[in-house]
Amino acid sequence: MSFERKSELVVRATLRDGIWRMASGLRKNLICAALIGAPLLTAPLPAWADNPIKIGSIFDLTGDLNIYGIQQSRALHLAVEKINEDGGLLGRKVEIVESDAQSQQAKYTQYANTLLMRDRISALFAGLTSSAREAIRPIARRANIPYFYSSLYEGGACDKQTFVTGPSASQQLGVLIPWAIKTYGRRLFVMAPDYNFGTISTEWIRKYAADNQAEVVGTDILPLTATDYLPTIQKIQMAKPDFVVALPVGANQTGFLEQFTAAGLKQKIALVSTNYGSGNQQIALSVDAARGIVVSPEYVSSAKNPQNEAFKRAWQAKFRTTDPIIGEAVDVWNAAFLWALAVKKAGTIDSDKVIAALESGLSLDSPSGAITLDGRSHHLVQSIFIAIGNDKRDFDIIETHDRVAPAFEQKVCDLIAQPQLAKHFTSLDDAKSR
Amino acid sequence: MQVDLVGITLISAVASASVLLIATLGLAVVFGLMGVINLAHGEFIMLGAYAALLSTRAGLPFWAAIVVAVILTAAFGAVVEVLLIRRLYSRILDTMLATWGVSLVLYQAAVVVFGAVTPGLGFSFPSVNIGAYGISAYLLALIAVAALLTAALYFLLTRTSYGVLARAAVQDPQMSAAIGIDAARINTATFALGCGLAGFAGAVLLPVVPATPGMGFAFVVKAFLGVVIAGPLALSGTVMATGLLGALANITASVWSAVFGDLLFFGATIALLWLFPQGISQRWRLKL
Amino acid sequence: MSTQVSGGEVTDLSLPRRKRDAFLAHRGIWMALLLVGALAAAASYVDSYLAYVATSWVIFGLLGLSLDLIWGRAGVLSLGQTAFFGIGGYLGSVAAINLAPLTGNTLIWSGPVGSLAGACIAGLVGWLIFFGRMAALQATILTYTVTLIIWTSAVSFHATVGVAVIGGDNGLAEIPPFVVGFGNAAAPLSPNGMLACTILIAGGAYLLSASLMRSPFGLLVDCVRLNAEKTELLGYDTRKIQFWLFVLAGGIAGLAGALFGHWANYLTPSVFSVQECLLVPIYVLVGGRGTLAGPFVGALLVGGLSFWLGGGVIGGQTTLVMGLGLMVLVLFVDGGVIGAATSLVAKGNRLRAVGTETEGEHRHSPVTALKSIARQGSDGSLEARAIVRRFGGITPVNGVSLTFQPGRVYCLIGPNGAGKSTFLRCCMGSHSLSEGEIMLAGKRATTWKTFERARAGLGVKMQTPQIFDELSVAQNLWVAAYQAEHDRRAADRKVAAVLTTIGLAARTKLRAGELSHGQQQWLDIGMVLCMSPAVIMLDEPAAGMTAVERGVLASMIRELASSAAVIVVEHDMDFVRSLDAETIVLHQGELFARGSIEELRRNEAVLDVYLGRRRHVRTA
Repeated sequence: MSFERKSELVVRATLRDGIWRMASGLRKNLICAALIGAPLLTAPLPAWADNPIKIGSIFDLTGDLNIYGIQQSRALHLAVEKINEDGGLLGRKVEIVESDAQSQQAKYTQYANTLLMRDRISALFAGLTSSAREAIRPIARRANIPYFYSSLYEGGACDKQTFVTGPSASQQLGVLIPWAIKTYGRRLFVMAPDYNFGTISTEWIRKYAADNQAEVVGTDILPLTATDYLPTIQKIQMAKPDFVVALPVGANQTGFLEQFTAAGLKQKIALVSTNYGSGNQQIALSVDAARGIVVSPEYVSSAKNPQNEAFKRAWQAKFRTTDPIIGEAVDVWNAAFLWALAVKKAGTIDSDKVIAALESGLSLDSPSGAITLDGRSHHLVQSIFIAIGNDKRDFDIIETHDRVAPAFEQKVCDLIAQPQLAKHFTSLDDAKSR
Repeated sequence: MQVDLVGITLISAVASASVLLIATLGLAVVFGLMGVINLAHGEFIMLGAYAALLSTRAGLPFWAAIVVAVILTAAFGAVVEVLLIRRLYSRILDTMLATWGVSLVLYQAAVVVFGAVTPGLGFSFPSVNIGAYGISAYLLALIAVAALLTAALYFLLTRTSYGVLARAAVQDPQMSAAIGIDAARINTATFALGCGLAGFAGAVLLPVVPATPGMGFAFVVKAFLGVVIAGPLALSGTVMATGLLGALANITASVWSAVFGDLLFFGATIALLWLFPQGISQRWRLKL
Repeated sequence: MSTQVSGGEVTDLSLPRRKRDAFLAHRGIWMALLLVGALAAAASYVDSYLAYVATSWVIFGLLGLSLDLIWGRAGVLSLGQTAFFGIGGYLGSVAAINLAPLTGNTLIWSGPVGSLAGACIAGLVGWLIFFGRMAALQATILTYTVTLIIWTSAVSFHATVGVAVIGGDNGLAEIPPFVVGFGNAAAPLSPNGMLACTILIAGGAYLLSASLMRSPFGLLVDCVRLNAEKTELLGYDTRKIQFWLFVLAGGIAGLAGALFGHWANYLTPSVFSVQECLLVPIYVLVGGRGTLAGPFVGALLVGGLSFWLGGGVIGGQTTLVMGLGLMVLVLFVDGGVIGAATSLVAKGNRLRAVGTETEGEHRHSPVTALKSIARQGSDGSLEARAIVRRFGGITPVNGVSLTFQPGRVYCLIGPNGAGKSTFLRCCMGSHSLSEGEIMLAGKRATTWKTFERARAGLGVKMQTPQIFDELSVAQNLWVAAYQAEHDRRAADRKVAAVLTTIGLAARTKLRAGELSHGQQQWLDIGMVLCMSPAVIMLDEPAAGMTAVERGVLASMIRELASSAAVIVVEHDMDFVRSLDAETIVLHQGELFARGSIEELRRNEAVLDVYLGRRRHVRTA
């Protein structure tokens, strides 16, 4: 028997001659598609035996944003571990259903809906970027479960179900800019990334500069695909500011700081930032570049308070790393404990009651200092630190501003009086309301 | 208009173009010369950066670290070529899929091995003043590096016997084999050369772009544009395209904004594609 | 055996009714329709969360379909599909936000507006690519650059259109969901309903595309992909074919974008990002390029896998597994999932096809049958007036003036490098003239493109056989005939006639790429015959033929010359003699001598030129 004949027989036998002979190319394609697709659509669900309280977590564990996502996820796991060690909530264990958004926008929408429909979570902790938050906000609203957004951002999110435990741009800049003007001088230059965080922060900087009789002598907005910082550095030199507010995002924009230093500008011009360091960028920079950059975070790893000591010890024990813990991690930790506190206070996981408890003015002592969740604006009254980069790839605290209120959010957003509000306010709204 | 401002603008335009060119040369070899769509080019840049970084932290002087980076990335490139690319020369589109897979794996592996953030270089470079404006001396040095590298590559590919064999093997593998050239070995070497160049770029740009798993991305976006506009003469075309676009984008960014600079880069790309549908070097008389 | 050629497919006339023929011919479409309906019905039985997520996979599959049309079938890798997707999404959603309150129904607005938006932008880009005659690679980079420009601009683009607010990087929020039904009956769909609705829409787009690809237009698209130059030589405006397909693909991408807006209720510039733009070719390649259903499989697999892995299964190493999976897929599976599955079956079919070829020599019907194919009533003349063509440093054609009238065979001979092929290409339109004029059928054709000359009656057969290797013999001829006849049945008749003339009647269903070299030459000649040309140019048509075949060819040429002008470029002097032609000698780009072959054989100057002897050979 020839080889061709043998293989023909094998092919026929394997693929059931009758069906395949009838099929044209078109239908073959579709049959293949159906055969492959069917198993996926009917995949069985795993079964869990207990009656735990399920909370959902969607962070970027992989992809470009994973420096934040991994730590945020770890913080949530650590917090839930502690909560369970202390007896759980309402006699039940807390369980995290975790998803990796893989730094893709559509995945946030997919997983948020999945966690709600399939796992029936009672609370959601998710997102780093504003676009992730904006995608999730309406989903959480429709499902009426509390959603915690834990990252520094441009400010202004106002929604009944959404609670923000990261600092807003006005909170951070409201402390940083007046300090910098007082310390360095009245001429400032802004380098910002070309997306909402950058452009809205720039507007806030203009406002605070004007309030303090200072002048923004130049701005440069950089796209996320920029590789070339020489034009920015040139513009800075032309403008001759006293200090530069830099808001670098991503690995490339950190290169700006390196090139700024390499051009010899550090001696004459100071550098301040709100988001530098939030992703441990100070580790990646050369020591010369990292030294002396001033930041205004909501958390500094080297802060000395009992909660932070305990927190760091637990973190290092569980994850076996001495990398500095970033602000977003503490933001998630705070969110988890605020939620737990609200559940205990409400005595139930019913969303309306938990949200009411969250709005009743909860306070905690956290690794970042004393925090209070402002019931009307759903934002935190928290400490903002002024810290400076040192030679050891870390920051030293220069000043601590306690109980910094989210003034803008408190002004425009009152969710107790207006529970139907669902909006993202920007600084333009602030200008309109003045 | 002050003289030093004009001077610094021009010099920084050339410096920007040089940085972009250094990052693009590897792709010019792999894509422009061999026609392999290597979507992992950015990850090879990243590998070179990490290799150099770890070497300096292990105590090697910077120049030695660069050599280590080149050797390591070239070797790794050879491995990828033998295991993966070689089987796909007849399925040139599947190299897209395959190298995309490689890029995912390398990226994630880098995160796992090196962590999302790695301590950077422990040293920095002096600055130079042009009138009232300062610029990093290292960036000026990179202009020289780009020029030397291009010249060396041109020499290697047009004057040495390897170079002639490499171009033959790429242009007509069957004919090359018919006259006794071991096209397979030569292609491995050429691919490794391209990857080594990427590694060199990552290493040499370390003082300018800190090493992180995603550092190659922004370069790769523009590198592909440059290499395709270049046309049939991979090397000289790439030098012209990257140099022209990089410099123009830089000047536009200096005068207006970086967003306009990028838009100009992309807009000029379209204009050049319209004017030179086969690439700008279509009618040039150079060898490569 | 009587055969009927229909749309390029040969069927045995002994089958009875036409209705049954029609059903059988479209049985693929009926099956597909059934399958789509079945899937949509099955959508109700899936878990609601899975239905929700699966909807996005189907939408991405639809986006992949738009790429597969233009890449898998037309051969142009467009990296701009996400740009059309995003723009269709934004504009369709803006329309839905503003106009949905009027009708309740949202899809009625977003669907058409999104598709139209996508199609219009695609039209703009397509005009640049196809009417600018860009090479494939440059076209790809152009589309990529368009995506980059839109991405960079979208991040800072703020606009308020009616009630809809586009907030730059904040994107477009509050996009209404899928609402079907009108007025009081309007209600948002449940996740299962959404999935069913999306399957129906995507299935509809798929069926439309598949039907289109089986029509003559689709056949032409494949021709352009297989051999664009030949397609143009047959008289088709390849630019328009590719352009309209590109516009259609853009419309489908825009439709997918509008659906995506309803699914996510929120759109950001991230839809334009480079990472998203590269995912689409991945879907197409994983599923199988050119299959049209492949992208759906690819989107399902890639989307499904990354969704499943990201759900905590693999402990945060999603991308690692995806990457390894892709490498394995590429190494061991050729042509994507569907390609691999169908190639197993295709092997079975091919084995059978080889078996049906009858052994033995070709049978050519009497050449007089050609009369029925000849072009009726046109002035079949070609005139070259002092044409000059320069390339950089050389001038292969230097002031040649020749007139070719119907009724004679002309032979162009000359030593290598005389400029014969270049002259041919100048007449064809492949090369533009540096100087001089070309007159075709009495009209000034110097600026006419190749396809315009073909339509005016110029038929060309190049030296190497130009055929569509993946199409069958019958389809090859049909494509040539369709342009001349503009009617399917007339084309069928002509193909049947030509098949016997060129002796390939027994091999109609064979893939043209599997013919021997000589058979391919005959096929190429047959395609020229199908065009019913008034001027026929043949470049070394006898190369590779047996003596018997040459005899047939010579009589064919003489017969054709009775109604057309036939110009033959040849080296074989015996063949030239058998043609009884007026012979023209070209040398170094100029007209050197002309006359009958016997006169030229006695001409010393001509011998010098051929043998390279000093006296008449200029050393220039």
